[in-house]
Amino acid sequence: MKGRLLTGNAAAAAAARLARVDYVPAYPITPQTEIIETIADWVREGTMDSKFVQLESEHSMMTAAGAASLAGARVFTATSSQGLLYALEMLYNVSGWRAPMLLVNVSRGLAAPIVLEPDHNDVLAARDSGFLQLHSETCQEVADLVLLAYRVAEDKRVSLPAIVNLDGFYLSFTREPVVLPDQGKVDQFLPPYEPVSPLSASRPVARGSAVMEGFVYSYFRYNLHAAALRAKNVFNEAAGEYEQLFGREYGPVEGYMLDDAEYVLVMSNSFTALGRQAVKRMRERGVHAGLLKLRMVRPFPTEEVAALLRGRKVVGVFDQNLSPGLGGIFYSEVAGALYHVKNRPKAILPAVGALGGKQITAKEMDSVFEEMVRIDRDGVTPSPMFLMRDDELARVRKAVAIAEGRS
Amino acid sequence: MTVRVRFHGRGGQGAKTASRILGNAAFNDGYFTQDFPIYGAERRGAPVTAFTRFSREEITERGFIFSPDISAVMDDSLIADTLANPFSGLRRGGVAVVNTTKAKGSVVPGRDDVKSVCLDLTGQALKTLGKPVLSAGIAAAVARISGINKEALLTAVVDELKDIGLSAEMVQKNVGFAAAIYGELSPLELKTEELDAREELVPLAVVVSEGGIEAVTQAGNSAIRHTGNWRTFRPNIDYEKCTDCMMCYAYCPESAMAVGPDGRVKIDYDNCKGCMICMVECPLKAISQTLEGGA
Repeated sequence: MKGRLLTGNAAAAAAARLARVDYVPAYPITPQTEIIETIADWVREGTMDSKFVQLESEHSMMTAAGAASLAGARVFTATSSQGLLYALEMLYNVSGWRAPMLLVNVSRGLAAPIVLEPDHNDVLAARDSGFLQLHSETCQEVADLVLLAYRVAEDKRVSLPAIVNLDGFYLSFTREPVVLPDQGKVDQFLPPYEPVSPLSASRPVARGSAVMEGFVYSYFRYNLHAAALRAKNVFNEAAGEYEQLFGREYGPVEGYMLDDAEYVLVMSNSFTALGRQAVKRMRERGVHAGLLKLRMVRPFPTEEVAALLRGRKVVGVFDQNLSPGLGGIFYSEVAGALYHVKNRPKAILPAVGALGGKQITAKEMDSVFEEMVRIDRDGVTPSPMFLMRDDELARVRKAVAIAEGRS
Repeated sequence: MTVRVRFHGRGGQGAKTASRILGNAAFNDGYFTQDFPIYGAERRGAPVTAFTRFSREEITERGFIFSPDISAVMDDSLIADTLANPFSGLRRGGVAVVNTTKAKGSVVPGRDDVKSVCLDLTGQALKTLGKPVLSAGIAAAVARISGINKEALLTAVVDELKDIGLSAEMVQKNVGFAAAIYGELSPLELKTEELDAREELVPLAVVVSEGGIEAVTQAGNSAIRHTGNWRTFRPNIDYEKCTDCMMCYAYCPESAMAVGPDGRVKIDYDNCKGCMICMVECPLKAISQTLEGGA
């Protein structure tokens, strides 16, 4: 077996070291803390040449990160869940500053109630912030996407900050074989960051000015949007070079058993593994199932989604997030990408599941494909699925009874 | 028809209150009414804009007034201010009401298709109120020109000024101010026509073709924006008394105090906003104030 056993957190830290980051402003939060602990250790023992500072909050951490990036430093930081939300105000600023720093988010469900295991409402709260977003399924992907993200973010055609997302526990604390790229080749792939007009004490530069008027604001916001759209081709270019250097191929999306697939489920992040298993089981039952994984979330890979989902009978979207009062977030985005496609699927099934890391059994996963088949067969309009099992419901009821003093 | 009034003033002159007095007056007179100010980074002397719409039919417009029937200018130094641009979009047949002592006849450069009404509101205000606050006077002028009932106006003056905490005495002085201005004028016919708009949409690809990233890399460009016309009062240095102690230089919040080639303190009138802090702080009382000409 090639590589070595690393957790997702360790892979993120190792990639930051390989990227030769200059500055790591940090603040601890479960399940991310291992990343900054690892980096702090390396900096202390002198095996990583970075400035490490623990700030007093994620808000300050993000402010320091953005400012250092504007000064020309390559900046790495990490957070999770509530921490990301606390930093959120600054995320919009940092992207408006066009500061190409990298934030690793370790997904964890949002309070209240409090939970530690993953869903994607945290990282999707930053969906509209102007940060590029790349989501990982494996620990290997974490390491590779960190390096790719720096390359794309710092490209002059983009100049935007990025988030690399990994699921808490399912990746963050899970060890699996990871091949870390060779430092010499990483240096070739990712040369030192060269800022355009860096903040400098001897040459004043103002960023994030008040523009006051809407048309000036619109001009810069439109430019931010255009830069985010350009990031997709820049990513593809960089990914091509990455594949040549390191032998691993990455696209904005990834198909699984799509060739003749009639029923395709769209998923993201680590639970995609469960979707792949379900596809295999359905294939064994003679159902032409397939899967489409979203790796790039911002910019949204509209063309790839449309190209790979056109002509399918029914598409399902598995959302590990919930926008209360609407439903799954990716459902709307996938449906939007497909609306103008001529031979679009006749139905799109929304399925919400695995909130707060709720475990998903084979039966639950299969039920989504079975519903897609049924919708096709009976020609019915999909009604949204919210995955929950009877044994789980019984346990909730029992706990609620105790909480209310009824047992 | 809908009457659209745009007030242009300077922070402290009462442009916002004027728009509210006029709105309230029209409301009292049975009109559908709308009034609102726009807020920037205010301070005393900075250009301020406020809007009033009134109509016998329900108003279906909202927001900025780009094509006013009446442009009410409370400070004639704004006429040349390219950012305030108080007559932009003024309709053919519309009216420019201007507080000035300088101008006579037409005050709108290059426009013979609009009417001008010139008034010395600052003089009247200093006489009746003792300070250059013009809200009641300018609202009264516009109310009269557009045919709003006098009682409706005076009730509005009382309501609005009470509302912002003026003493009963000051409210009564303002009622007197409004009544005097109202009495000086007569209604004008407001048959107006919108100017032709010359604008084209720009596609996103063109807008973003420069890859614009917001960054100010040239320091010291605030001097380009001349704010000297914000002044109501002008500081003057009596060089007989001045000892060049530089206290004014230290206190000036705008860096508008400079040292001239002769080594003496000099006021940069292009950027001095007339806050008069220098006059207050001068230990030798060597700085006095005079009213800026006109308004």
